[in-house]
Amino acid sequence: MSNMLEIKDLHVKVEDKEILKGVNLTIPKGETHAIMGRNGSGKSTLSYVMAGKEGYEVTKGEILLDGENILELEPNERAVKGLFLAFQYPIEIPGVATMTFLKAAMNAQRKARGEEELLTPDFMREVKSAAKMLEIDSAMLKRALNVGFSGGEKKRAEILQMALLKPKMCVFDETDSGLDIDALKIVSQGVNALRDANRSMLIITHYQRLLNYIVPDVVHVFSNGRIVKSGDKSLALELEEHGYAQYDESI
Amino acid sequence: MIGKLNQSEQVLLETLQKTGADELAADFAKTGLPTRRNEAYHYSDLKMLLGDVPDLTTGAISTSVPLLNIEGAYRILIVNGEVQISDEPPTGVIVSTSRGGVVEPENDIVAQLNSALTKETLNIDLQGTVETIIHIDRRYEGEASHINDGVELYILDGSNATIIESFSGSNEAHLSNSASKVILGRDAKVTHIMVDLSGGRVRHLQSVQYEINESALLHSLIIHKGSALARTQLFAKFIGENAHADFAGLILGAKEQHSDISINIEHNVANTTSSENYKSVVLDKAKAIFQGKILVARDAQKTDAAMKHQGLMLSDDAQILVKPELEIYADDVICGHGATCGQIDMDSLFYLMSRGIEKEQAKSMLIRAFLAELFDEIKIEALKEALISVADEWLEV
Repeated sequence: MSNMLEIKDLHVKVEDKEILKGVNLTIPKGETHAIMGRNGSGKSTLSYVMAGKEGYEVTKGEILLDGENILELEPNERAVKGLFLAFQYPIEIPGVATMTFLKAAMNAQRKARGEEELLTPDFMREVKSAAKMLEIDSAMLKRALNVGFSGGEKKRAEILQMALLKPKMCVFDETDSGLDIDALKIVSQGVNALRDANRSMLIITHYQRLLNYIVPDVVHVFSNGRIVKSGDKSLALELEEHGYAQYDESI
Repeated sequence: MIGKLNQSEQVLLETLQKTGADELAADFAKTGLPTRRNEAYHYSDLKMLLGDVPDLTTGAISTSVPLLNIEGAYRILIVNGEVQISDEPPTGVIVSTSRGGVVEPENDIVAQLNSALTKETLNIDLQGTVETIIHIDRRYEGEASHINDGVELYILDGSNATIIESFSGSNEAHLSNSASKVILGRDAKVTHIMVDLSGGRVRHLQSVQYEINESALLHSLIIHKGSALARTQLFAKFIGENAHADFAGLILGAKEQHSDISINIEHNVANTTSSENYKSVVLDKAKAIFQGKILVARDAQKTDAAMKHQGLMLSDDAQILVKPELEIYADDVICGHGATCGQIDMDSLFYLMSRGIEKEQAKSMLIRAFLAELFDEIKIEALKEALISVADEWLEV
């Protein structure tokens, strides 16, 4: 199996309204793809359906992760199988310490895979080295999860989780939103450091800017609930220049 | 009039008559137990809820294991109302007993019953900086019985102390009516915690009184976890200026538990402040009740009081009933109240699960997060851990 992700004719309804209208997408192992589309085109819905959020009704189609249909799985089971969604708006959870959360997530995944739980010193070592790469201050890790984090800190914390959980399919939902240029560079470096032959990535964005730093192998244009055009990275530049309007009617 | 009393009330009346509490018996014959028509008992109609009243206890031997172990604490047992002092108290702790009950009746029949039926009160005077935690381990043991007990704590001027009272024992259908009175001297600094860990058949009624003198600092925490029916009524009076008190509490309710915390805070003098921070977590068909009354007297200018109740409902059949009451006679006062009630936040749950954490564990993490604020206020690590483990055990059930 050389494809990491295969989405086949995916139709999704939210409260009786069809949002995704037949999405087809294949990402081979080791490749990074980008989906670009304007706000409200259904990009975020796609990311939530992949991760298994409640409230989305899949009426048709399937999502295969490394050859296995994941649509019937709970969000945590999908995570254990190697799917990771970096949230557009990471959730603030007062009362849950960031470190407690990181350890719980890592150990939950290890346990599900039949591996030993991490010892605290090993856990601390892993967190410290990943935090250093992302220029995350240790004081930030002592706070409650995402509480009082700036936009940039939240996104860096997402990438930190990704670095620790080592997923094989990473989905970034508007990771560039709310980032200034310095934060964007740090986040991109973090993501690029994690690119390898066995890890695939899907970057969802409506700006071309992020794609200057994380250069995709394939760019897809998303409009009205489906992918309407695919091409190489030059497609992103073309979109930046001409906008999405030309795709609005091309059904 | 006697014809109006139900079976439980009839037994209580006879118990009072046998004890020789004639005056109270005469009153009780007229009023009986409080009902929903009594505002303070509006959601806890004792006439309806109390159930069978067992015979008065004739004493018992403590057989159950302590449900709460606090490292390094000085522990005093009260078993079925009988004070048992075995260890030498630490420096600054003077322990004695006195005959009869302790709580001033406040025109409340439950407190009056306790006062009339308690045979022996544990008195503890605390002087100086008492580092050792005082653990008053109140047990209701043996066959189902009707038990009354009392504790009076006097924290002398300028003294510091931490006291925890736990309620536990055999899982029989006891009726326990307990009272605590805590007097804070000038500049006294006190943490006073009460945890009900009684068995699931116990009916537990509790009256707590605080007298807060000048510049004193109180942190009060009530936790309800065990009893089938639990009702704590708290009466606090600020009687000296520049004092501050944080009142907090937690109801953990499951199955068909009925759990009520009703507080009455009186700011009687100027320049005193308080916070009231209560939380309830309910599942199954449990019912949690919080009533918070704050009275600010005419002379109590510059009072600052902020009351809050937050509820977390984990099932469709659980209930949380909340009623704030502010009675303010002074005109230069800050006094507010707020209440929230909700379920587990689905976005937070999804976020945790999307990282591989199983649903049940994720829920537990979110409930712990909801409770964390109450425990973070406890500065003594051994005590904090003991209380967190009480909540953790509940979460695992």
